[in-house]
Amino acid sequence: MYRYIVKRILFLIPTILGVAFIIYFVLNLTPGNPGRSILGANASQEAVDQLNEELGYNDPLLVKYVNYMKKLVLEGDFGTSYFTKQPVMNEVLPRFWVTLQLSIIGIIISTLVGVPLGMLTAVKQYSAWDYIPSILAFLLAAIPSFVLGMVLLLVFSLKLNLLPSYGLDTWDAYIMPSLCMAIPITAFNVRFTKSSMLESIRADYIDTARAKGATERTVIWKHALKNALLPVITNIGLNMGGLIMGAVVSERLFSVPGIGALIVDRINYKDEPVIIAGTIVISITFTIIMLIVDIIYAYVDPRIKAKYTRIKG
Amino acid sequence: MKRIIALSLALVMIVALAACGQKSGGADSDTLILRAETAFTTLDPANSNNTHDIILYDQVYDGLYGLDEAHGGYYNELAEEVVANEDSTQYTVTLKDGIKFANGEPVTAQDCVFTYERAFQNANMNYLVSMIDNVEAPDEKTFVINLKYPYAPIAHTLFRVKIVSEKEVTEQGDKFGTIPNTAGAGPYIIDEFDIATGCKLIANENYYEGAPDIKKVEYRVYSDPAAAVIAFENGELDFYDQAALSDWESLKAAAGDNNAMVTGNNITWLGINYASPTNNNILGNDLVRKAIFYAINKENVNLAVCEGYGRTATTYMVPEFVPTQPTEGFETYDYNVEKAKELLAQAGYPDGADIGTILTSTSANSSKSAQVVQNELAQIGLTCQVQTLDVSAVVERTIVQDYDLTVYGDSGNYDFNNIRQQVHSESVGMYIIDFTLNDKFDWERIEYLVEAGAATADMEERMTYYNELWAMIMDTATMLPLINRPVAIVWSDRIDIGDPVPTYYKIKNFSWVDSAE
Repeated sequence: MYRYIVKRILFLIPTILGVAFIIYFVLNLTPGNPGRSILGANASQEAVDQLNEELGYNDPLLVKYVNYMKKLVLEGDFGTSYFTKQPVMNEVLPRFWVTLQLSIIGIIISTLVGVPLGMLTAVKQYSAWDYIPSILAFLLAAIPSFVLGMVLLLVFSLKLNLLPSYGLDTWDAYIMPSLCMAIPITAFNVRFTKSSMLESIRADYIDTARAKGATERTVIWKHALKNALLPVITNIGLNMGGLIMGAVVSERLFSVPGIGALIVDRINYKDEPVIIAGTIVISITFTIIMLIVDIIYAYVDPRIKAKYTRIKG
Repeated sequence: MKRIIALSLALVMIVALAACGQKSGGADSDTLILRAETAFTTLDPANSNNTHDIILYDQVYDGLYGLDEAHGGYYNELAEEVVANEDSTQYTVTLKDGIKFANGEPVTAQDCVFTYERAFQNANMNYLVSMIDNVEAPDEKTFVINLKYPYAPIAHTLFRVKIVSEKEVTEQGDKFGTIPNTAGAGPYIIDEFDIATGCKLIANENYYEGAPDIKKVEYRVYSDPAAAVIAFENGELDFYDQAALSDWESLKAAAGDNNAMVTGNNITWLGINYASPTNNNILGNDLVRKAIFYAINKENVNLAVCEGYGRTATTYMVPEFVPTQPTEGFETYDYNVEKAKELLAQAGYPDGADIGTILTSTSANSSKSAQVVQNELAQIGLTCQVQTLDVSAVVERTIVQDYDLTVYGDSGNYDFNNIRQQVHSESVGMYIIDFTLNDKFDWERIEYLVEAGAATADMEERMTYYNELWAMIMDTATMLPLINRPVAIVWSDRIDIGDPVPTYYKIKNFSWVDSAE
């Protein structure tokens, strides 16, 4: 198991190399340059060219990439923002922490609500306990995040005046951004858990368990749920990655200084160091989340744990 | 399963504790809350040309001149007196008595020299100080600016270059601009600065006019206009300017009497590259360019971009803000679709033609305007595509004249001399029409008029040059002013903002309605 974990952590190295290269490659294809973005329309062409030279922007793609990776590996230096002239991690890490907090709250809400509700709809199929949550989940999954966020703002901030519309200064300010992120995923979790659970309930071993006289409670909780949870756990892990990457809508709408909004803002200025560092941080997080999912898998599914043990032996 | 639940609960607790660890608060009753559209990039006034940043600098750092948009013109800020020599090649500034920086140090002529010499080193400031040869401080209160050539419209430079304390800027070194400082002589001090969330200001008790009425100010970043509207309607914002015009009715309803729609100091234009090789240089044909101008119903641009609240434009700049802008005696190309068709037929294109691409920036104003122009031209058979790029990419393309048509805009200009950057071959920055590409136009006369207009301080003389210049440029049918966008402002009933202005408001002019607050 430990070898597997080390192997997965080592996999981060090609991930970082690949992500940085893709970002450099894509930014290289887009028109515009940071010198003009920073100095503005009124700056002389000479000044713009000089600044681009100082920033290393004119270097060939591969040279830029190799220089960046060299600094990153040898000095742990993610570079300096073209735009603010600050070390990029001074900007990226506080914002990443904000997004991570929101994503964790979002994933907990969506899991604690979505998974039990999905189970309920499967166990009580063709009843009101199935129809109402299923229809609600269907509707909520179809609403885009920005519309949902606007509705939350209008209702809880403007009409009821219960929650602040800005920032994360107080604990209650976390509620709306987290809900905006969690609700679509909750709806998806309901539908996903329901289908997974139904598949599990219809399996032969469930009939066998019932034939052996197991109570319905034991059948559902001990036999059906454990097997149904495996794909759900993978899905939760993927959702967590999706939340971090897709938090930008909530961040902008609720004026939350997260990493998504930072990356989107800096794309306008071709601020390569910030865009690359932000993307690398997100990629590392995503890889770690998937690793955690795999480890949880091993605990939930004894077959997988046994497999790792055999490999070790 | 139990482990997963335990892990989840632990995470909930961690996040909850982290959330509780944040400072609590929000809008204090004695804090004025203003909207910032984006984060402030730097606190160093020499390091940004972003209007959004300059508005903040205007609260914290005073210049030699201030700008009064409400009543027109500049006024003395740190300068007691500014005297030009006879040929406008030297300006002697006498500083006011008793002025101090927020750090308590006196403002001296040496600080002015330091500030201007910093500006010389900074490409951001190039367009403001490129005409200055050197500066000197013969004594503590006298600051002398020596120019390379006669230059009358220097007031904007005196306004935009904000004087900073040499001692404090030197002490902060590379950190200056990234952390709060007391190096300005303006009415406020930046107390807290967060590059992500905005900044907080407190009144400068050393301000030479006395500390302002409103003691605490907070700029909050609301990137999304809809979120800003809700925040204002919810009472979380005290002052919201540059509001989205599409939200104007609901904002007005929320603001009651505290609203103003003021004339904006901006113009959106259409530019045509007469030397473009597209379709055998079809845009080189005078009749085709004139047909394009006559075919555009500017009112439709106004409707699309400003919801009809703006106004159609015929001038290079907004006359309310630019006294040197000619207002009559030039061709205005009023909408006349029949005349456009007739001109096109005379040019040999009775069935229309392809005229290439309209290059414009990704800003909503420019891209919407370009789409309307594209649609208007289609009605006389002229087809074109619209290409939207980041503004920096558009500027790079126009400088080298790599475009067919372009929709672009400019704002915050207060002297007609600004036209130099659009049409003069020695232009720095936003160069749109290069008249020197061939002998089609009398470019030498155009450039002479640009230079002559800047070389004299005599208003009447300047107007003579600029009247001829603008009439010549409009006759070339290469630049067509489209619209002038208004600025929507709303404010809470807690404050009195004095006379609303489109851009450079001064919070020191605001006051609490209830003085008990």
